[in-house]
Amino acid sequence: MADYREAPLATRPKTLDPAEYFNLSLDQRRAEEERAGLRAQLKRQYQMQLNNPHRKELIEDPALTRWVYARTNPYNHFRATKKTSLLGGLFGVVPLFVLYYVLKTDRVWMR
Amino acid sequence: MLKILIPTLMLFPTIWLSPAKWLWTTSIAQSLIIALASLSWLKWSSETGWSSSNLYLATDPLSTPLLVLTCWLLPLMILASQNHISPEPLNRQRTYISLLVSLQTFLILAFGATEIIMFYIMFEATLLPTLIIITRWGNQTERLNAGTYFLFYTLAGSLPLLVALLLLQNDNGTLSMFTLQYTQPLHLLTWGDKLWWAACLLAFLVKMPLYGVHLWLPKAHVEAPIAGSMILAAVLLKLGGYGMMRMMVMLDPLTKELAYPFIILALWGIIMTGSICLRQTDLKSLIAYSSVGHMGLVAGGILIQTPWGFTGAIILMIAHGLASSALFCLANTSYERTHSRTMLLARGMQMVLPLMTTWWFMASLANLALPPLPNLMGELMIITSMFNWSYWTLLLTGIGTLITASYSLYLFLMTQRGPLPSHIIALEPTHTREHLLITLHLIPIILLILKPELIWGWCF
Repeated sequence: MADYREAPLATRPKTLDPAEYFNLSLDQRRAEEERAGLRAQLKRQYQMQLNNPHRKELIEDPALTRWVYARTNPYNHFRATKKTSLLGGLFGVVPLFVLYYVLKTDRVWMR
Repeated sequence: MLKILIPTLMLFPTIWLSPAKWLWTTSIAQSLIIALASLSWLKWSSETGWSSSNLYLATDPLSTPLLVLTCWLLPLMILASQNHISPEPLNRQRTYISLLVSLQTFLILAFGATEIIMFYIMFEATLLPTLIIITRWGNQTERLNAGTYFLFYTLAGSLPLLVALLLLQNDNGTLSMFTLQYTQPLHLLTWGDKLWWAACLLAFLVKMPLYGVHLWLPKAHVEAPIAGSMILAAVLLKLGGYGMMRMMVMLDPLTKELAYPFIILALWGIIMTGSICLRQTDLKSLIAYSSVGHMGLVAGGILIQTPWGFTGAIILMIAHGLASSALFCLANTSYERTHSRTMLLARGMQMVLPLMTTWWFMASLANLALPPLPNLMGELMIITSMFNWSYWTLLLTGIGTLITASYSLYLFLMTQRGPLPSHIIALEPTHTREHLLITLHLIPIILLILKPELIWGWCF
């Protein structure tokens, strides 16, 4: 089933349609169709902007904007969990003390 | 000194009295003449440590390269701002250029000051025009946050410095740099003395910035308009380095013991900020964090108090100033076309703007300290003198250099190579002004390959 691909420009027989084959419920199929509709609308919006001959600026991608905002503002949602404290300590606090010990020993007692 | 200062002050009448058509031309021309005149400071004909002095201002081999860099940068700043300021009303344009010129005046007075209180006052005074430039002419709402961080970090660091300087004045009677090196080494034994030592250096460490107190820098650099970013990266960070080098003279012998935490923070900061650079999505943020890394190396070089460390620090300061400013100008050319700083958005620029790629390539190579550029000379001298100080630092500086090379290449490859996004159309071709701007940044770096003695400072 995984390797089957229909010929180009042909349609799948109904029995090999994934919704039928895996016996998905009607609710799931309806949700799937809705999502396909939304995707088509978004693609249409993008294509309209892409092919607009009067457009001079970039097309704004809200997903990119949200991703960039999330990448640049992590501290607003920071929570001190065990993992974050461990990471912070391991990379921010412990190296300073280790380096102090190493450098001081090297300079004072070894040389 | 006055032959540079008075023309700089006369830039104010030039700006306010020029007709609108000639405003940019006259201000750039006059500042370029001042920059070329400042090159005369490089001819070192004095027998003593100081030259061109009057009662209050003087130049010495430490401040001369920084002064020339400052004077050189003013025409470049005005040239860079020409495009994004031009839609504004005329008086606002004049105000903007006046802010840049006032910043220039304060910087010349700061680097030329012979008395430490004057240096301190000018150090603080440079904060105001920069704050106004960032908060008024920045492009995003985060500029207010950036301005606050910038102002209060630096002020909080420098208030202890004021107290420390007044205490020193009380003890010594004078704070003139001419006599500072000849004072008796202070007997610094108590906890109060250790706090005094820390107070002397904290302001400059915050300004440099040192890794632990560097939070203001990415914000300020990213939110500032191009002239703000240029002056911040190229000169204002070096104020911190310059101040540290001046203060080091009188901070012996405590520095041998107390400098360890700061050297460690500086070295660890190189690695940490380099790693952060590899994960950045924002173009200016990457360049800002790379500044923190390079300045960490400078701080390490200054704090170990060896002649090669000092020399490497000055060379790296000058070379980094030019290279970092060039990178910000290049990032601005990208920003003015796409109005976005996201690196992912403005990829593949080599296809569209190939000559600009050449400048991106050279600036990235300068950033990663390619031989024979002076960036390498500075870094190598600092790394060597730190190796002499302790063998283990080589581990940190070596990994730091590796990470620096990788994020500089990442920067170049992300912005220039790769697929051009299909929806980017109507990019303006590069203006001659932009090519001129970047070549004026890169030519001094290349010329310094041939005569690095100009920026070696007083330890050679």
